[in-house]
Amino acid sequence: MSTPFTSAQTANAPVRLPPANFSKWLKAIRRDAFGILMLVALFIVIIGPMIAVILWAFTQPGGWRYPSLIPTRWGLNYWADTLMRADVTRALPLSIGLATVVTALSAAICLPAAYAFARMNFPGRQALLLSFLATNAFPRFGLYISIAIIFFRLGLIATIPGVILIQIVNTLLLMIWIPTSAFQGVDRTLEEAALDVGASRVRVFLQVTLPLVLPALAAALLLTFVSTFYEAQGALLIGIPNVITMPVLMYDIINSQPEPQYGAVISLVLWLPSLLLLLFAQRFVRGGAISAGFGV
Amino acid sequence: METAQLTTARPAPAVPARRDWSALFAYLLISPPLLVLTLLIFIPAAQAVIETLSTTDAATGQTTLTLQNYIAFFQDPILVANLEFTIQITIATVALLFVIGFPLALYLRFSKSRIAAAVQVLALFPLFVPGVILSFALIEFLGSHGMFDTMLNLIGIQGYRTPYQHLQGIVIALVWENIPFTVLILTAGLRQVEDAVVESARDVGANFWQIFTRILLPLSKRSAMIVLCLNIIGVFGAFTIPYLLGPAQPMTMGVSMQQTFNRYEDRTGALTQAVITFLFCAVVGVLYVRTITQPREGQR
Repeated sequence: MSTPFTSAQTANAPVRLPPANFSKWLKAIRRDAFGILMLVALFIVIIGPMIAVILWAFTQPGGWRYPSLIPTRWGLNYWADTLMRADVTRALPLSIGLATVVTALSAAICLPAAYAFARMNFPGRQALLLSFLATNAFPRFGLYISIAIIFFRLGLIATIPGVILIQIVNTLLLMIWIPTSAFQGVDRTLEEAALDVGASRVRVFLQVTLPLVLPALAAALLLTFVSTFYEAQGALLIGIPNVITMPVLMYDIINSQPEPQYGAVISLVLWLPSLLLLLFAQRFVRGGAISAGFGV
Repeated sequence: METAQLTTARPAPAVPARRDWSALFAYLLISPPLLVLTLLIFIPAAQAVIETLSTTDAATGQTTLTLQNYIAFFQDPILVANLEFTIQITIATVALLFVIGFPLALYLRFSKSRIAAAVQVLALFPLFVPGVILSFALIEFLGSHGMFDTMLNLIGIQGYRTPYQHLQGIVIALVWENIPFTVLILTAGLRQVEDAVVESARDVGANFWQIFTRILLPLSKRSAMIVLCLNIIGVFGAFTIPYLLGPAQPMTMGVSMQQTFNRYEDRTGALTQAVITFLFCAVVGVLYVRTITQPREGQR
């Protein structure tokens, strides 16, 4: 507005003057000093390394030297170079394909079981459901080694089926526990009402139950896809030297590539699915589904 | 989102006459994942224990019980150093996670400010950074003449020594990676303490310390126990971070196993190391399983 304050305006609605606002701010800061301290510390420690990666991805050859805080010469020089490397163009489709197959297989195996765990009554139900949590009790890489020994005898080392199998191990817990809690959360009276007015059981499942659990199922699928896409240890142990996924390729690039730009560009490309998940899953993570998967 | 309740929300009992058939059908539905669980986790783990404890005589084909694989492990100074290194890293990481995670969780549980919401976003952020990317980022950030070194230099601090390729580098990265999990579980545990309980304690004049030690700590014992167990097992079974950020010697058990398996192709040696990590984690694993199978306080 171009007109300055009139006395009527100030009388009706007290204008928030900057000084008053500022002191309120100060008070809030003083009250939450601990929070602000943590915010700053976490920002440097958590976001700092990520900023370094982003900056490196847009740096020209030799364009960032100590003691400059940011690159001095910027450019997209490494993007085409990195994305057209033969190992990258082979690994990226392989990783996406593997994650898709593993997620689909895991869903086919686990979702009917989750329904049974949530809705059916049978002896041993609690103990069997808990046995999936017991997988947390094994140190992960030791377990992979003992699987690898068996795969070695079965000739599954350095094959795609071998990598699929070891990656499924990682998905079971998520695919059982999140859908089970979703099916348990469905209000039974809605289904009974539909049955009362003459709907068939199949129709009730498709039109009442399924829509109610769909968000949680979608979250489970997405979490499984992303975590499989990034699974590196099992794929390294079982896959090399024939099956090289993107994360496995990253090991090699980190260890053998002196210019950080290659790793930085691949990191940013690799990171895309995770950022998508970040946008989608924030609410879900806070809802406690993940902590439920550890038996809290 | 309802969370899976172990002790409540049991399904309503089925109609007795159809019970046998529906139970059979339920077993049919749960058998595929149970089969995968058995074939890919329980059997390999059991096989590993049996195989490393036995030896087969090439001439007679007779299998006998022996500890020779384990004796060989503990007589190898390099492997013993690896085990000690892993234990040191585990202790340092888990201790740091509690020192950082508990205040964060308490703050997030009781503050409702906008800053708390931002702190929560940052604390959960590592959940969305995969291990390989994290390792690369930390190498570039913490390496000598990296961004952190530069920042220190700008405020006049010289003589920075990089933790990269040292024990400290592994610990920093493992703490970074496990903060979200630690904070999530501890906060979830603290949320089970109702506001009313804390407020009534405050009404009768309890100070923060009394509320913390007499109410919050005892009531969040379960989640603290889960965090402790899973973090110990997690660090012991880690590979990516110690492999990328650690020194060439000593290695953690995870790296040592991988090198023994992939590079030296010594399968029995790798398996022996795997079983040793199982044994070290067994106590903690049993504690974890006991914690999660116990009914929650006030829910019996």
